[in-house]
Amino acid sequence: MIAKHDVLVVGAGCAGMRAAIEAFDTGATVAMISKIHPTRSHSGAAEGGINAALGNASEDNPEIHAFDTVKGSDYLGDQDAIQILCDEAPDDVYELEHWGAVFSRTEDGRIAQRPFGAAGAPRTAYAADITGHVLIQVLYEQVCKRDIPVYEEFFAWQLVVDEHRCQGVICWDLLHGGLKTIGAKTVILATGGAGRLYTGTTNAYACTGDGMAMALRVGVPLKDMEMMQFHPTTLAPTGVLITEGCRGEGAYLLNKDGERFLKRYAPNAMELASRDVISRAEQVEIDEGRGVDGNVMLDLRHLGPQKIIERLPGSRELAMTFAGVDPIFEPIPVRPGAHYHMGGVETDVWGQTELEGLYAAGEVACVSVHGANRLGGNALMETITYGKRTGRHAAEWALSNTTVTVPESAESDARRELDELLDREEGERPWAIRDELAETMHVNFGVFRREHQMQQEGEIVTGLRERYERVVVEDKGDVFNSDLTQALELGFLLDLAECMIVAGLERKESRGAHARPYDYPERDDENYLRHTIVRWIDGAPRLDWAPVRMTKWKPQERKY
Amino acid sequence: MQVGLKVWRFDSTTGDRELKEYEIDAPEWATLLDCLDIVKDKHDGSLAYRKSCRMMICGSCGMRMNGAAVLACKTRMYDIAQAGHVPVISAMGNLPIVKDLVVDMDPFWAKFKAMKPWLQPGYEQPEDGREYRISQERMNVIHKEALCINCGCCVSECNAMESDPEFLGPQALAKGMRFVGDPRDAATVERLEEYNSEHGIWDCTRCYFCNERCPKGVDPRDAIAKLGAESVKEGIDRDMGAKHAKWFVKSAETTGWLRETELVPKTQGVVASIKEVKFAMSLAKHGKVPPPFPPHVAVAVDESRNLHKLVKEQEHEGAAGIVQGEAALAHLSEGYDHERDPYGEGSFPKPYLPAEEGET
Repeated sequence: MIAKHDVLVVGAGCAGMRAAIEAFDTGATVAMISKIHPTRSHSGAAEGGINAALGNASEDNPEIHAFDTVKGSDYLGDQDAIQILCDEAPDDVYELEHWGAVFSRTEDGRIAQRPFGAAGAPRTAYAADITGHVLIQVLYEQVCKRDIPVYEEFFAWQLVVDEHRCQGVICWDLLHGGLKTIGAKTVILATGGAGRLYTGTTNAYACTGDGMAMALRVGVPLKDMEMMQFHPTTLAPTGVLITEGCRGEGAYLLNKDGERFLKRYAPNAMELASRDVISRAEQVEIDEGRGVDGNVMLDLRHLGPQKIIERLPGSRELAMTFAGVDPIFEPIPVRPGAHYHMGGVETDVWGQTELEGLYAAGEVACVSVHGANRLGGNALMETITYGKRTGRHAAEWALSNTTVTVPESAESDARRELDELLDREEGERPWAIRDELAETMHVNFGVFRREHQMQQEGEIVTGLRERYERVVVEDKGDVFNSDLTQALELGFLLDLAECMIVAGLERKESRGAHARPYDYPERDDENYLRHTIVRWIDGAPRLDWAPVRMTKWKPQERKY
Repeated sequence: MQVGLKVWRFDSTTGDRELKEYEIDAPEWATLLDCLDIVKDKHDGSLAYRKSCRMMICGSCGMRMNGAAVLACKTRMYDIAQAGHVPVISAMGNLPIVKDLVVDMDPFWAKFKAMKPWLQPGYEQPEDGREYRISQERMNVIHKEALCINCGCCVSECNAMESDPEFLGPQALAKGMRFVGDPRDAATVERLEEYNSEHGIWDCTRCYFCNERCPKGVDPRDAIAKLGAESVKEGIDRDMGAKHAKWFVKSAETTGWLRETELVPKTQGVVASIKEVKFAMSLAKHGKVPPPFPPHVAVAVDESRNLHKLVKEQEHEGAAGIVQGEAALAHLSEGYDHERDPYGEGSFPKPYLPAEEGET
């Protein structure tokens, strides 16, 4: 054990940094582990904004925000958690502003808010189209102010569990090499999502579901893992994100003829329907031959140069760089791409998992605020509000408990396992397995899901796991061995794919992101208004169910 | 497409350096980062470089291509490969190399932290507990500085840092301006005092390489200029650099042109200037020094004086005078053809709504 802290945060994106700041301010000794520098975290790639009922653009209140979120979740969100999010959101956003977040402004100098999908009011506070970047910067500034130590470029690999308590993390030191164990009274997972399970994804290379898999491997259950959101506007071929803010500012979605096809799918909300609805509509247009080379078109031309340049400069830059298109003159070809995991490590409203001392916040967690479909702008808000709550609870728990023990065997077992991998000289390198996993998940577990394809994907993943058992790491060095960490990441992804498939097969209905139009086209509240829970038992995922926490909103038909 | 790359490999444990050439098959849309991924996957798993978002926002993949800093994820390879060029890829400059294309960013972050990069709010906390009320125009002063992704490309290219490794550098100073220009920050004078010390803003040589190589349009040199202007405005002018700049303004205001003869004493002070007398004499002997008395006054001196008055009247002193308006805010380099019609011939069809059922 190289160090010991009250609270150890794994991951330094918005949720991780917000948690660390709160734990520090609560009086605990805090440190963060991150496999990349904090400002490189993928929260920074969030573009459109953060939802809070500030009422700066029109009449709004947390109650409407909560209802929009419940409805958007296709009623799978836990309503107590949603209520907390929406009630605490405004003050949490003001706090960010007081810390210096560079928000865009209204005429009267308030935080500007724009309309976003499936929201009853213009509620999404924004900083042009680099909101995530601005928040990452302001949080890192606050981390610097408090001088919170960060173990930078430490790759978290295993959780240490002793006496049914999580008491630390075993990491690989990417810059210098070697396994390092850091002990902690409480560990907060804030490692983000697992978009790298798909070829077309908005997610960074770093988004490999590390925290979910680490929790799973120590027996902690994952919730709603079948719920992977597909964002409607991502660029071919790799899935670079074009923000929903474009549509918030008034952009149209067109098929190859120039038809605003959403009129036929979501006649009222049109381009501002929820993401699952739009992604499905796009996929139908593309599948039925009304797309343009596998895309539909996002048209900003009518917004005019000034609005595009002032409010959406980042999107213009992305379109010009990666699609060779200037949105002032040409529509941007877009298609659905894997974007956000609504599912994750099951937690309560204080971020606590089933395992004492282990917490989770942000995309890695499933509180569940987003249910079966997340609304744009709610993810950043969740990272802040639940990051803060989790940081506080973890710190308070740590301050009232004293000991940290890391058994010698935990480290030696990890070292043995790692040596076995590094000593292997003959075998397949991981990249082909990684690519096959991502390509087949995209085809077989994408926007639309079919029973036989999901089964087939299960078999494919089983085969890939067998190959992974014999995988070989070519780089044997200690210094910046990303060949090794990428191999470990692939192991995480394979575990998670299995969990998603098990849950997807058993949810025999269509709800939010889980669309089965060919066998179970309707939502089935009688049988499936409940969460899937997956545990890892004896080397395989086992499925269970948990009730949805309902307060005052009864399920209704969901139309936009 | 076939892409050739020459990559400077470096092993810090042995100190070995080697230029290795790779020939790979890549899709036409591939960026430099995609190409490095292909090298790592299919040719050499030990190649080290940083990457994450691959969409120009995380700042991980700063490196040099043919000696100039780029973000690998922003650099499309098609034209380069088609032209048959085999670019040389190396680690960023001005930072120690850890392995291959990975540099030690610790010195970078140490300077970042030396700027006290957090808001120090002071006056007028909003009474209602809500946000500070600030106009968009006021926030625009730091718009470009707020775009910085800390990739280090500017630092890599900084000429001043090459000769003075302790120079705070373009990234840190741009971060400093982000706070000096923020109306919510109450530590402006303290910050400027610090940034005016040795290795601070006046050590910049104004080579503009940072502006040139910044992949995000931050224009760090402009930020440094803003810091200089703010310093002078706040009366923090003890540095020779500040005095030098002030004399330019004073001289232009009074006589409409730069009185070089007086520049040295005004910048370095009378005592220090005495040391330069010998040099000045030799210049004078060769007819390189105009007679200081009577001062030559430019014919159109009124224009110069009016300009000075106008800046004061319009309250464009300090950083406000360096904000370049909306065109600059939106990446000058990515301007657009104002004459082009987005719906003209050959463009994508105009949007229309589908007919309602029953309509024709």
